[in-house]
Amino acid sequence: MTQTRAPRELRVFGLICSLAFAFPGLYLIWRNFTSGADPLGLLLANETLEPFWRTVRLAVLVSLSAAGLGTALAWCTTRTDLPFRRLWRVLLPIPLVFPTFIGAAAFIRTLNPGGLANDMFGSIGINETPELRGLFGAWFVLTLFCYPYVYLPVAARLRQLPGSFEQSALILGDSAPQAFRRIVLRQISGSLTAGTLLVFLYTISDFGAVQLMRYDTLTRAIESNYLARPPMAFALSLILLIFAGLVVLAERSVSRRLPEVKSRRASQPMTYMLGRWKAAATALVGATLVFAVLAPTAALVDWAADGLLRTQRGGRPLTIDPSKVIEAATNTLSSSVVTGFVAIMAVTPIAFLVGRYRDRIGRMTHSVVIATFAVPGILIALSLRFWTIRSGFFGDLLYDSMALLIFAYVVRFASLAMGTALVAVKTVPDGLHDAASTLGADRWRRFRSVDLPVMRPGLLAAGGLVILSTMKELPISLIVAPIGFPTLTTRIFGSFEDAFVAEAGIMAVVLVCLSALLSWFLVLRRADHL
Amino acid sequence: MLNRLLPLLITFTLVAAACGGSDQLQIDGLAAEINPEECVDGSGKEVTIYSGRTENLIEPVLEAFACATGISVQVRWGSSTQLALLIDEEGKRSPADVFLSRSPGPVGFLESKGLLGTIDDSVLNLVGEENRSAEGSWIGFSGRKRVLVHNIDLVPDAELPSSVFDLTEEKWRGKVAIPGTNGSFVDWFTVFRDQYGTDVAAQWLNDMVDNDARYYPNNRSIVEAAGRGEIEMGLVNHYYNYQEVAAAGDEHRARNHDLDDNDIGSLLIITAATVLDSAENSEAANELLAYLLTGPVQSYFTNRTFEYPLAAGVQPNAALPKLSALEIGSVDFDALGGGFEETAKIIEASGIQNQ
Repeated sequence: MTQTRAPRELRVFGLICSLAFAFPGLYLIWRNFTSGADPLGLLLANETLEPFWRTVRLAVLVSLSAAGLGTALAWCTTRTDLPFRRLWRVLLPIPLVFPTFIGAAAFIRTLNPGGLANDMFGSIGINETPELRGLFGAWFVLTLFCYPYVYLPVAARLRQLPGSFEQSALILGDSAPQAFRRIVLRQISGSLTAGTLLVFLYTISDFGAVQLMRYDTLTRAIESNYLARPPMAFALSLILLIFAGLVVLAERSVSRRLPEVKSRRASQPMTYMLGRWKAAATALVGATLVFAVLAPTAALVDWAADGLLRTQRGGRPLTIDPSKVIEAATNTLSSSVVTGFVAIMAVTPIAFLVGRYRDRIGRMTHSVVIATFAVPGILIALSLRFWTIRSGFFGDLLYDSMALLIFAYVVRFASLAMGTALVAVKTVPDGLHDAASTLGADRWRRFRSVDLPVMRPGLLAAGGLVILSTMKELPISLIVAPIGFPTLTTRIFGSFEDAFVAEAGIMAVVLVCLSALLSWFLVLRRADHL
Repeated sequence: MLNRLLPLLITFTLVAAACGGSDQLQIDGLAAEINPEECVDGSGKEVTIYSGRTENLIEPVLEAFACATGISVQVRWGSSTQLALLIDEEGKRSPADVFLSRSPGPVGFLESKGLLGTIDDSVLNLVGEENRSAEGSWIGFSGRKRVLVHNIDLVPDAELPSSVFDLTEEKWRGKVAIPGTNGSFVDWFTVFRDQYGTDVAAQWLNDMVDNDARYYPNNRSIVEAAGRGEIEMGLVNHYYNYQEVAAAGDEHRARNHDLDDNDIGSLLIITAATVLDSAENSEAANELLAYLLTGPVQSYFTNRTFEYPLAAGVQPNAALPKLSALEIGSVDFDALGGGFEETAKIIEASGIQNQ
């Protein structure tokens, strides 16, 4: 690896980014001081430790299962002759888009006792339905919501890796599983750990799913103390954030020891013939989609259809009309796509600082960006309000602007793109770079003609993660968006809160369709042409 | 990708713009039902609302208000708790003039921070003394009653209890759902403490936990679970079951049960309106509050959203459980002071959230 010093502009950019991303953390620290919170005293109290350990237990379990499931799905859909691969690739990222407050409720509606599945199987005489709740329920639902954090980056990596090592291993007598363990797993380890870290951080910050599954974690303790005992809410949030920071550092020390695998876009990946395993692989992908996409969507469609039928029969009219849905869908689509682009532009330079130049500022920024993913959205929203209201002219300018909303979304979700972008930077072969600079290409030209083509699949996967996640974001969309900027998620929330399930169902179905459309753009129109 | 998406975005935007209205304000549907008159010309006045009451319920009222008064209305929709936190964070520079809350808790929070202004006397006098703050800092504009929702296939009518104190009996072991950490439950429990003393209230909650009461995060999820038969019954606000029945009809197998008139389990909890201390448009804000308490709006609340009216002599919709004496305003809510903090501690200590 060429160890040149990072260009100064890049380091300045990194510094600015780390400050921008540190806003929520600094706000939390400030609030801990001003509210007289006592995070140290709380650290060892029972009311902290019990939910804390529950949080950790859940996060570890979800991380393990999402890592396994995501990797298996990625391998099956990119490296095998599985039928309908393109269809699966469009559908598999969709669970990312369910806001957990309605997604988990939809799971319950479909799968719990007396639910849709119960009705269906009851008619053929099966009446035993387990109740999704507690640790099992939270683990089950979050695994299904979170596997795309692993699936997307790993699939992007697998599509791009050279098959030559695997072929050699197979020729030398390794079985396919051996080749997978010895070659492929090493090659994808960077993407895998980055994705799993996101699953872990998402799980510790989730509130919607755990509360509906009635599994009492730190976020519940934070949520129910915001008004009653603000110091406690701030202290617990700080504990959560510091814990997230430690996890990020731990991941980095692991991933630093991982091998780096270079690739070129020309290389041809392996395709395995599944043979008699075809049925099993199809069952895995099919079952995942049945549970992760079909189960919640069934409840949403049921709610929506009931409402539409009711209006036809002259019951209570719907409180939404097509123009409201289109307005919200347009806002959702435009804000999330812009966020995706800005996030990629923000993290790519940081990835260069860390991956290519091993720069200290880059490493710091990288950690700050990723740890921020564990900060609950409401705190990011409040911190931005806090800072803009105190920064005079500049704050007035930004107040209630789209720019501030996009900035907040980027702070919340750029972490999703960070790990994948870093892997993408590390894949670019040094030889190519050296050759290009010997031939006199300047830095920008090298970036465009050498780096970008190799990095593109990774960056697209990263952008997809950010876009789909932004589409479902709730607290920032409510608190930071300019007044009169409804998104699908805010309207779903408003309807669902007061049990307008038909309206919520209709808009959630629109949200799922939009995400499928975006996924189709990302997967079929681009990535496969690489 | 942008070059492919852009045309799509532009089309969407154009369609949305085409669906948007013209300059002359026109209203239809429920809003026109509230205000059937022609809209008056814009007065140039405006009011900014942070609303914890949701769009589906309140927007027709705000449209009718804009139409009737010519005051332009800006709304930030959200959850009452988060909006209260936002107002606290924005402080004096908050653009909000009015805060509408689903329940009293967030109002109490803002009051304790000194962020609430005083509502005009002429507005305050529109409701009974029990439904407004003695200091004039908040006013109720509709009510939701606590009831026991129950699955009609699992719990026969004849066996239904008459008091929340009955629910600690062995007979109901593992059969009662409690939204332990939900705002409206916390408010209710705070009044419970005020009426019966902290010891009695805390003892009741601990007994409920011992009796395997089941924790659910909110009213909606309890009503939904009771409809499926996952839980026999639960302590909730009356409102949600009406929406579920309106949506699913007889397929929804849960109904409200009205506990005894004098039982704390029959409490009426108000939704509250406030004018912020920092309001720049306090005149328009007071006009809005007064409008919420007019006959047509109060009728809308009870006949269209199934809530209890509080003003203008409007009678509750006949389908609602009979209203008894116990209303939240009849308790000195202001005097509870640190009530919510203490309530949060007691609820946390009971362990209900792990049931």
